[in-house]
Amino acid sequence: MIQLEQVSKTFRGSRQPAVDRITLRVKQGDICVLVGPSGCGKTTLLRMINRLVEPDDGMITVDGRSIAQMDPPTLRRTIGYVIQQVGLLPHRTIAQNIALVPELLKWPREKTARRVAALLEMMDLDPGEVGHKYPHQLSGGQAQRVGVARALAADPPIMLMDEPFAAVDPIVRVRLQDQLLRLQQTMQKTICFVTHDINEAIKLGDHLVVLKAGRMVQSGTPLDILTQPENDFVLRLLGDDRGVKILDQTRAETLMDPFADAAAQAAANGHRVQAIDPVKIALERMMLMNTDEITVCEGARPVGLLRWNAIKAHVHRISGGAS
Amino acid sequence: MNVIGFIRDNASLVLAYTGNHIALVLVVLALSLGLWISTGLLISRHERLAGAVIGLGNVIFCIPSISLFGLFMSVPGLGLGRRTATLVLVLYAMMPLVRSVHAGIRSVDGTVVDAGKGMGMTGLQLLLKIQVPMAWPAVFAGIRVTVVLITGIATMATFIGERNLGRLIHQGITRGDAEMIIAGALIVSVIALALDYAMGRMERIIISPGLQVQGGERPRVGA
Amino acid sequence: MNFDTTLFLQALLHRAPGHIAEHLQLVLIPLTLAVLIAMPAGILLTRPAYRRQAERVMSVFNAGQTIPPLAVIALFFPFMGLGYGPAVLALTIYALLPIARNTVAAIASVPEEVKEAARGMGMTPGEIFFRVELPLSIPTIMTGIKTAAVLTVSTAVLAALVGGKGMGAIIFAGIHFFRFELVLAGTLYIGIMAISLERGLALLERKLTPPHLKSARRRGTI
Repeated sequence: MIQLEQVSKTFRGSRQPAVDRITLRVKQGDICVLVGPSGCGKTTLLRMINRLVEPDDGMITVDGRSIAQMDPPTLRRTIGYVIQQVGLLPHRTIAQNIALVPELLKWPREKTARRVAALLEMMDLDPGEVGHKYPHQLSGGQAQRVGVARALAADPPIMLMDEPFAAVDPIVRVRLQDQLLRLQQTMQKTICFVTHDINEAIKLGDHLVVLKAGRMVQSGTPLDILTQPENDFVLRLLGDDRGVKILDQTRAETLMDPFADAAAQAAANGHRVQAIDPVKIALERMMLMNTDEITVCEGARPVGLLRWNAIKAHVHRISGGAS
Repeated sequence: MNVIGFIRDNASLVLAYTGNHIALVLVVLALSLGLWISTGLLISRHERLAGAVIGLGNVIFCIPSISLFGLFMSVPGLGLGRRTATLVLVLYAMMPLVRSVHAGIRSVDGTVVDAGKGMGMTGLQLLLKIQVPMAWPAVFAGIRVTVVLITGIATMATFIGERNLGRLIHQGITRGDAEMIIAGALIVSVIALALDYAMGRMERIIISPGLQVQGGERPRVGA
Repeated sequence: MNFDTTLFLQALLHRAPGHIAEHLQLVLIPLTLAVLIAMPAGILLTRPAYRRQAERVMSVFNAGQTIPPLAVIALFFPFMGLGYGPAVLALTIYALLPIARNTVAAIASVPEEVKEAARGMGMTPGEIFFRVELPLSIPTIMTGIKTAAVLTVSTAVLAALVGGKGMGAIIFAGIHFFRFELVLAGTLYIGIMAISLERGLALLERKLTPPHLKSARRRGTI
């Protein structure tokens, strides 16, 4: 667990603090996304966690230990670090790049080789083909996957990711995001992720932290922030399609009318969604089938009925009836 | 005109001069590489020193070589001969070597260094595993310039008593003997080109293929 | 070493100044000739019709650079006799390389997309050259000329060996008679000439450089 306590940083030559008294807790196994416009301090905040930037004030602890007491290189070897520019070493092959931290930690050679091959495999890269290449021979998407593999090499419990997918094209970006989510299901790393893209933040984050000019504006789950934006700034950040985004974050079961009895259950119509599916999926299916209601199931068992009116009313209610 | 004939007729003399010339160049090169590459590395880590050191190298470089020989030959303990010649040539090598090391280290992509640091490299590891390997192309360019330069300027050491190929050229002037001048110039050029070629081969071995991108394009790092 | 102040001052104030004009001639004439030859040659080598030859021509130039300056000065005099002529010719040839090399490099490094944009706006090849390629290349070309200038000031010392006079006369005299004072006096003037010439060219460069390139000017100059 990462904990930041009243952390501040003002860069030399600047009057405005880059990070201003931020208190934050990142839970074990969570993806915490720091989101905000450029210059909001999100990258500075991230770089304080591996001590690439030293705070002027406040305290940062990892698993209860203050990082200020730790030797920076030793600390950094236990924290994966991925940046937008990837920063692969151009004079080393892909395999040698991934082997970097294991090498620093003096792993035996065979263990490192096995790990590198496994990581390339995990990132959907062919170890035989890509391992011997040099960074300039890779596409942007491949390079970024190697960047992630390199950060994961020594299996660090924590990952810091600074706009890792910002420089690749939208199609590749979606693929990389999906891959990260898939990996995270098994890895359960504690991840701090910086982005300026609110859609990426909502998609990846278990917990969002909205920053502006070094201050924390709001923090919470994506749904918390979507449904209760703190102010106009957050509202604008969320975009014009906040209602649709909410439906994407809301499970079908939360808006359904549960079946009162077995008779109602038996009368359920043929169109179905799963209880944990987002309402957006249910809506899509209802539109396709030209129907106003759809049966919500847990596995094969129908548990309730989701009605168009309930969805409409929900969006209307949380958006405060705004036009 | 028969340059080859001249060389054949004076084979033992030409051979002795050539040997002396190469020996001087190699000694100077060995000393210069050790001294100036470490100086270059040092000033890359202490930017304040860099301006002063490179400035000094530039000033030395602008002084005619004959003047440097003339100035140092009067210093007690140096005098006419090998010691002064070596010292002056090492000083001449300062500018191209120090500057190329400094420029090479400085040109290393900041994001790569940042990534290395973020992965937990110590200052020394950053230098040895990232900055130095990535600076090699620039450093090698500097070494090759230096080799050609030193081989040429070494001819001037003949005026302070070195018995090398410069003597062929100098005596050629005094005697008005074109064959002698051309023989001297030719052999110096061949030595310079041969050393340059050898350095080129070594460069291909030492510099990572990841940095030897075809078509002069700089390696794409990152996105 | 015992420093003879009287000799030094006498050399500095009476003997050396007489060689300044000679030396400047040995620098300015070859430099002017070299600019007049090397710049057009460099430009020609970047034109589409000749671009393929550029690399070959430059490698000949580079090989020429491996001939020691002493030899370049010496090579012409057996044919032209002692005096000013062979020295000027040799110094001209010696100054060609840095100017030609920087001209080719400068024009070749103008970004393709900038030229593409100019073509797209309807510029003729001539307009592209004079309005885009040349202005953007001036800083690098001037760097080449400055390098050549400093190089020529110090190489011109060797002209004294083939009867071309200049500051070399006093420096070589110092070497022959083992008089450190003469070498120092001559060298001081060489230094002053090199610095003044470099500064003068830097001033000229500032006049010629488009304003937006000026901040970038400091980078990458010799």
